[in-house]
Amino acid sequence: MRAVRRLSAVSLEAARLGLRVGQKATDALALVPDLATAEAEPDADADALTALADWCVRFSPAVAVDAPDGLFLDVTGVDHLWGGEAALLADFRRRLSANGLPFRCAIADTPGAAWALAHFAEDGAIAPPGGQAALLAPLPPAALRLETQTWAQVERLGIRQVGQLMSIPRGPFARRFGRAAMSRLDQALGREREALTFRRPPNPWFARLAFAEPISAPEDMARVTADVAARLCARLETEGQGARRFEVCFHRVDGKVLPLQVGLALPGRDPVRIAKLFAPKLETVDPGFGIEVVTLTGDAVEPISGRQARLDKAREATLAEGLAPLIDRLTNRLGEDRVWRAAPAESHVPELAQRRARPLEKPDAAKSNEARPWDRETPRPARLFRRPEPLEAVMAITPDDPPSQFRWRGQTHRIRRAEGPERIGEEWWKGQIEDVHTGHVRDYYRVEDEAGARFWLFRAGLYGDPRTPPKWWLHGLFG
Amino acid sequence: MSDFRALRAKIAAIEAGARPDSESLPFGAAAIDDCLPGGGLPLGRWHEVGGAGLEVETAAAPTAFTALLVTPLARRGEVVWVLRRDDLCAAGLLGLGFPPERLIQVCARDEAEALSVMEDALATVGVSAVVGEVEACDLTAGRRLQLACEKRGSTGFLIRRRPYGGTARRAATGSAAATRWRVASAPSEPPVGEFGLGPPRFAVELERCRGGRTGAWLLEAPQAFSEAYNLEMTDVAHPLRLVANLGDRQLAPAQPFRHVA
Repeated sequence: MRAVRRLSAVSLEAARLGLRVGQKATDALALVPDLATAEAEPDADADALTALADWCVRFSPAVAVDAPDGLFLDVTGVDHLWGGEAALLADFRRRLSANGLPFRCAIADTPGAAWALAHFAEDGAIAPPGGQAALLAPLPPAALRLETQTWAQVERLGIRQVGQLMSIPRGPFARRFGRAAMSRLDQALGREREALTFRRPPNPWFARLAFAEPISAPEDMARVTADVAARLCARLETEGQGARRFEVCFHRVDGKVLPLQVGLALPGRDPVRIAKLFAPKLETVDPGFGIEVVTLTGDAVEPISGRQARLDKAREATLAEGLAPLIDRLTNRLGEDRVWRAAPAESHVPELAQRRARPLEKPDAAKSNEARPWDRETPRPARLFRRPEPLEAVMAITPDDPPSQFRWRGQTHRIRRAEGPERIGEEWWKGQIEDVHTGHVRDYYRVEDEAGARFWLFRAGLYGDPRTPPKWWLHGLFG
Repeated sequence: MSDFRALRAKIAAIEAGARPDSESLPFGAAAIDDCLPGGGLPLGRWHEVGGAGLEVETAAAPTAFTALLVTPLARRGEVVWVLRRDDLCAAGLLGLGFPPERLIQVCARDEAEALSVMEDALATVGVSAVVGEVEACDLTAGRRLQLACEKRGSTGFLIRRRPYGGTARRAATGSAAATRWRVASAPSEPPVGEFGLGPPRFAVELERCRGGRTGAWLLEAPQAFSEAYNLEMTDVAHPLRLVANLGDRQLAPAQPFRHVA
């Protein structure tokens, strides 16, 4: 079957000429010979929609993407910042038009009703609270986001308006059109809740500052960061909470959003400290033509005991005063993966036997079933190579003896003393069953050369097994 | 002689300025402690540890030696280890008797960053020692480290290491370090009648020591990699034991004797 090229989107002008979505490209060209077409790029469209969703965060922290071309904004409790829903919508329309995007929008009590009004009613409709039924009634049944099959059946029955659907008793309605259609109607009318997948879960720990004039001077940015931090931290303090992660977003005049994150090792709410952590990162923010809104969100919020902390034991006090700020400074400067505390992990393979734990993670608080003590029985080197290095010219008496001589990095070492072997098998339960082989073992030896240097080397494979020829590797140094 | 000592103490007091009396950590062997000012490794200062040959790259022996020096300090607070190359194995330090739950590892991107992280960590409450791996530390950086040490009395250790090989940038000129050690592994001696490797031994040279004398010794970590070290971590004895004075090559008695600080 040959692929048929169809129109996936048409401009307003093209629609006026009678072209429609889903039409064959050849038919369209026959209608409009000088039609300009471009390849559809669904991925780029999705990316652009996501970017638009991020931009909409300036209006509401809860934005849900309605693929392929819609957005839901939960504006509950934010319209007063603009002085009412009408003003909010007007500002929204003005800014979107400035970006040159064609769009339609509506405000209603439920996502379903808002979708219906935005798609089929007058552009920019605002349904009064509880008044969506009257506005929905004259719309076509397609406004209910029905599946094609159901929709076809509704049309076949001669139902042209949602109002007619509303007047059908629930029992016959559900029998005739299915539960899904019933639920769509209920969602539109607010009789049933609809779960939206917000791009970011709405975060109640949110502070926002808007400026009459856009700012761009570095010192101004530092000051507004401190101001917005003070605002959020005051709220955290009154509610006895602290946050571990903070994200400040600079909203530029041209609609771009520049986020910066900092993390704390322990939940905190000291605005001065938080602003200080942001300070070195501010120079990476390009203010462009100016920044008009700055928002700050706190994540991983948990209760902290506040001022009582000082009455605790001495160790707790030093933790809060010294170590935690140090860890914060280092992780924010170097990155989270560059500051760690080694913790034992459940594995026999030496390179997997330790994991990187967060520096201030309490060992007992970290999943207690996984917490296991360090293995104190077997010697491990002070320096463990990430990749074992191959040894050359190894002289070893087969099959189970440590080498008597080897060359590493161009130097020949004669072994004087040796210990081992410590046999470590592969973790066969992690791989494919076909790859499991008894020859996949490492025999580790701790050896000392004539000068006293102590090495940790191993032989991979077994003698006398053609599938796994033995090879010697150096894995670490004891010093 | 006593006049001389008194004079020396007076000068030390003037040099120290408002700084509180600095502590020291004795090795428990008179031969070493007599060389060090204050009768032990001075705390609240920073020390330089280096190796020779390939050890400049791998820094295995200096690492083990430094870990043993830091072990008594780890009982007082956290130890921050600033790395350039992420190959430090906490399980290996545990084998030497160092408590890994007191270790915070930081991997710096370059040398300047390593030094500034060291400085930051040294001036922090709750950190008793900071170990950093740096190729060379000039006088200014050394002085800054010293000031950071004096803030909280924490002790710094600088392992001279060129983690990714290459040619030496420059020869280390003057240094603000309190002491400078050159460490190499030495052949171990297992106890009579036992096979395998004995406790690790180090040929240690004190190359430079402010307010003290230099020396060279053969040291052993008697409790490392033995079954007993974890059962009774001796709180008193230093984890390093003097085996011989490398000056006169006198061998230690076959049976280890215990030093009490």
